Amino acid sequence: MLRWSLRRVGAGVALVWLVATVTFLLVSVAPGDFASRLNDPRISPAARLRWRRQFGLDRPLPLRYASWLATAATGDLGTSWTYKQKVTTVLAEVLPNTLLLTSLGLALEFVGGVALAIVQLRRPHGTGDRLITLATLTAYALPAFGVALGLIALLSYRLQLFPPSHMLSLDGEMAHGGARLLDLARHLVLPVTAIGVTGVGAVARYLRGSLLDERREQYVLAARARGCSQRQALVRHALPNALLPLITMMGMSLPFLVSGSLVIEVVFSWPGMGQVMFTAALSRDLPLLLGGTIVATVAVVVGNFLADVAYAVADPRVRV
Amino acid sequence: MSLLTTAQRWPRRLRTGLTLLSVLIAVAVVGPWFAGDPTGIVDPRRAGLLPPGASRAVVVLRDGTTRAGQAIRRTATGWVLTRDGADETVPESEVAAAGIRRFWLGTDSVGRDVLARLVAGARVSLGIGGLALLVALVLGVGAGLFAGWTGGLPDAILMRFVDALLAIPMLFLLLFLAAVFRPSLAVLVLFLGFSSWMGVARLVRGQVLSLKERDFVLAARALGAGPWRIAFRHLLPNALTPIAQDGALRLGDLILVEASLSFLGLGVQPPAASWGTMVAEGQEVLANAWWLTLLPTALVAATVIAAALAADGLQELSRSET
Amino acid sequence: MREDRRTLVAVVIIAASLGWSSCRRPPDRVREEQPREGARPGGQVIVASLADVTTFNEYQSTGELGEAETIDLLFPLLMTEQPDYQLHPPSFAPRLATSWEFSSDNHTLTFHLRPDARWSDGVPVTAEDVRFTFLAQKDPRVGSLGMEMKDFIKDVEVVDPHTVRFNFTRVYPYQLMDANDGHIVPAHAWGKVPFDKWRATDFEKIVVTAGPFRLAAHTPQQTIILERDPGYWGSPRPYLDRLVLRVVPEMASQLAQLIAGEVNVVQAVSPQEADRVKANRDLNLVEFPSRMWGMVGWNNRRPMFADRRVRRALSLGINRKSLVDTVFRGHAELGSGPVLSTMWAHNENLPQIPYDPAQAAQLLAQAGWRDIDGDGILERDGKPFAFDLFYPASNTLRRQMALLIQADLARLGVRVRPVQMEFTSLIARTEAGDFDATIWVWVDATKVDLTSVWSTPSPSQGSNNFIGYSNPDVDRLNAAAREEPDYTRAKVLLDRIQELIVADQPATFLYEARLLVATSRQLRGADINAAGLFFNVDEWYWGS
Repeated sequence: MLRWSLRRVGAGVALVWLVATVTFLLVSVAPGDFASRLNDPRISPAARLRWRRQFGLDRPLPLRYASWLATAATGDLGTSWTYKQKVTTVLAEVLPNTLLLTSLGLALEFVGGVALAIVQLRRPHGTGDRLITLATLTAYALPAFGVALGLIALLSYRLQLFPPSHMLSLDGEMAHGGARLLDLARHLVLPVTAIGVTGVGAVARYLRGSLLDERREQYVLAARARGCSQRQALVRHALPNALLPLITMMGMSLPFLVSGSLVIEVVFSWPGMGQVMFTAALSRDLPLLLGGTIVATVAVVVGNFLADVAYAVADPRVRV
Repeated sequence: MSLLTTAQRWPRRLRTGLTLLSVLIAVAVVGPWFAGDPTGIVDPRRAGLLPPGASRAVVVLRDGTTRAGQAIRRTATGWVLTRDGADETVPESEVAAAGIRRFWLGTDSVGRDVLARLVAGARVSLGIGGLALLVALVLGVGAGLFAGWTGGLPDAILMRFVDALLAIPMLFLLLFLAAVFRPSLAVLVLFLGFSSWMGVARLVRGQVLSLKERDFVLAARALGAGPWRIAFRHLLPNALTPIAQDGALRLGDLILVEASLSFLGLGVQPPAASWGTMVAEGQEVLANAWWLTLLPTALVAATVIAAALAADGLQELSRSET
Repeated sequence: MREDRRTLVAVVIIAASLGWSSCRRPPDRVREEQPREGARPGGQVIVASLADVTTFNEYQSTGELGEAETIDLLFPLLMTEQPDYQLHPPSFAPRLATSWEFSSDNHTLTFHLRPDARWSDGVPVTAEDVRFTFLAQKDPRVGSLGMEMKDFIKDVEVVDPHTVRFNFTRVYPYQLMDANDGHIVPAHAWGKVPFDKWRATDFEKIVVTAGPFRLAAHTPQQTIILERDPGYWGSPRPYLDRLVLRVVPEMASQLAQLIAGEVNVVQAVSPQEADRVKANRDLNLVEFPSRMWGMVGWNNRRPMFADRRVRRALSLGINRKSLVDTVFRGHAELGSGPVLSTMWAHNENLPQIPYDPAQAAQLLAQAGWRDIDGDGILERDGKPFAFDLFYPASNTLRRQMALLIQADLARLGVRVRPVQMEFTSLIARTEAGDFDATIWVWVDATKVDLTSVWSTPSPSQGSNNFIGYSNPDVDRLNAAAREEPDYTRAKVLLDRIQELIVADQPATFLYEARLLVATSRQLRGADINAAGLFFNVDEWYWGS
């Protein structure tokens, strides 16, 4: 197990390096650079040429890569060109906001999905099962912005239950302690729901399908023969097995956990990674882009590691 | 036994799903011949953003331009079109066609017929979505089976490769490709397929890992079955359920993702229609004309539901047969 | 997995809202001295903003949207440029400087500063601050965007704490404008940071201001709260207690929040939404001519666009009037030439190119384009007349323009393929000359100089003439016009340049946009115009 873990760590480091390198190359070969947008007649065209020199964009690619790698290897991700602050500072500002939103969203998705699947399996092919299938599939097929705007229109503007955007109200930003926390909670409701609603269908479906299969496996039948109720047999014995594909799914959600959802962040004016990385991409803020990519990659590595461990725990037959 | 009698014994979900899918595909295949011109612009100032069911008096001139108004009548000198309360006479010699035209599902912001665009878009979206899904499934199932069954170093390498692909910011790969390739449907299908197979691979690998230690696989092995026979005869059928479930949802994703590739200059380019781009374009005028977003969304949802029902039914069928 | 969709679909939705422009030039402000009757002091106004401010130090700025307007509320300029450029080059009103004069040889410009001006920490604003600001503007390690504005200023001397002298290396028409460019920054607070550290310093931590408002709080990507500075020395003082900038990165949400009363001002309403805003009794729609205009740039280096008869034919073949009316729904003017019709330098006698497909067809035939194989598309030397028309993705207005242009030119036998493109890629390819035709938008300065956009590009100095237009007469006249200190004589040269450019039609001039700003109806006194959103923010107050 220790040797296996060490190998995984080594592979993880190599992966981060590989992804950062490929990203560096792609950003460099994609059209446009940080000076491109200085195309305003009010700014001297000479400024554009000056910027290319200032940010080292006129140097040959291998040289730029080598100097970036040399700094990054020491753990220094450099300074964001847009924000004029350490990349780590910029990311540290927005990453917690994204994590808060996405982890709650995924939790809602997961818990909601499992709950729906269990309800559906009470009477498979009954009316409830059918209605839930239809509703969750429809929710899944809706574009995220549609769900988000619908929630805002209904729950915020029409019923005035929750604020339509931002992390805190103006008063909340000034408040401390419990009042601030309550304000934050109220602002979380709509974006978390928007994230959870679209995904809940996928979770419920995977689980419903696997549970229907597992139901007829011998160990479940055995449990029933031992006198367990259908429900107990399902929840105690079949559920852990049926969770396996879900673990894969959740493991794959880790990049999302860190990178956030651009649409949700924009619609809800949420100050997270999605927005910051997207603007960094549009403006070709290379240090910030690479920093964000590295963070996301680390999340993938850790996520898959955890997913594999979870696999091994959930299903002892799996040798990792 | 004929196919029809077999079909009657199929689970209801399978029948419903397949019927719905066939209807959608039929519309995509033959619809464009009946639904009119999806790219024709009708006088955008007077016939733009019309709600479903609206009708306008339309005069098509010989030079190809159109004029729309509230009413039209024919006189000795030509056609008289009432526009914004004033009458306008168009000489007979300039008119190619004239009459009242009803837009059953309304028009978009430049006065194009939404019904015609939805039907034309069905061909593009279902075609691209279906083909891309096929690419993703072939690649994903192949890689997943191989990794899960072989295990060891090949598995580790393949899975880390998948991780890397998942972590690389796709946007820049796309920007680069958009700069290199001219937009074409083949590039689009390949790209969508290649960007989507990683999820399938992980899923299949996970299934194989869990299945390969199960009794029936162990039994097959003990009976001396070869690895490929086991993989295809025993593992794949058992992993089929999650693959089909996943594929049904993935189809919906691919149809919508096509829009973002169009945005980057890689996908379907204007004036051609696709459901994905119609959703994206509709969103720009959501507050004024919500139906422009709702209609293509409903069709994407119908596709996903149909595919998912069929997948459910398939699962039931396999359950009842084993 | 859904994650693919989460990351990818997102792209479609956002670009429209995040598409920035590098609006850097500070807005101009003028003060009305007499207080308004019935105006009650107090309250706060919440302004929706598409993006956050990335820095409060103008010389560190990389030109992010909206940054200049916020900075202008916090830091002083020597003078306030007046929005009177319709009649003559803009004049200036006192701001930090009470008066100024040129030496007899026009090489020296002396400013007399207000003796009572104070920074927000109580330290006086002096000539030393002006000199320090100049040093920062000129320093290549700081690398400020407007560095080239100071090219002909040799140095800045402190005569006494309230008198400062600018020495020029040459005499030219825009000396006053160049001297005034850039806000004065605090030497006592920011002088502690060496210039080579400026590009990586968080100036917000040491921010000291000298404007009608001061910075009260800033939550990144969310809110900037400005409060009235009680120690402000200028007049009049604002009525409002607070001005809040709330980041709402999507246009549709901005409008929805305005209607719901969450914000009070939305800065750029799209023409499609104008009617909805007008119909709302709680809202007020302000409309004014902007300095933004659009054109179709033909790549003049491409053989198919090298012939000016062809370019003229394309302009004749596009129904520009109908296009502009359709796309902007009456909220834009038809463009006619390279100088905005609202500028003093605009040539009133320019011929407006009509919509005349017959003449267009004739010109194309003269240039050798004929439909020989009868497929409905013109050919010359066996090659069909077909080209790509680039436009930025998710820009509704420009997509509609592309579609209408495609339809119009198709009737002439010209095949247009609209290609949407991510904004930065579009700029890069246009800048590199790697395009056929592009729908392009410029935002003009109040300084009229047609050199950078219309003179033959010079690779060493950089150029904004992406379309590769080259006319030696225009080059010569541009060089002469930018040296001519007398604007009436410069106008003669500029009129001739405009005639030449319009005759050559290197681009098809489409429109001059009007800006639409929506406010809560109860917000009174706001005179929002092309000089800037906060042009007279001192006068804003809440009606009952």
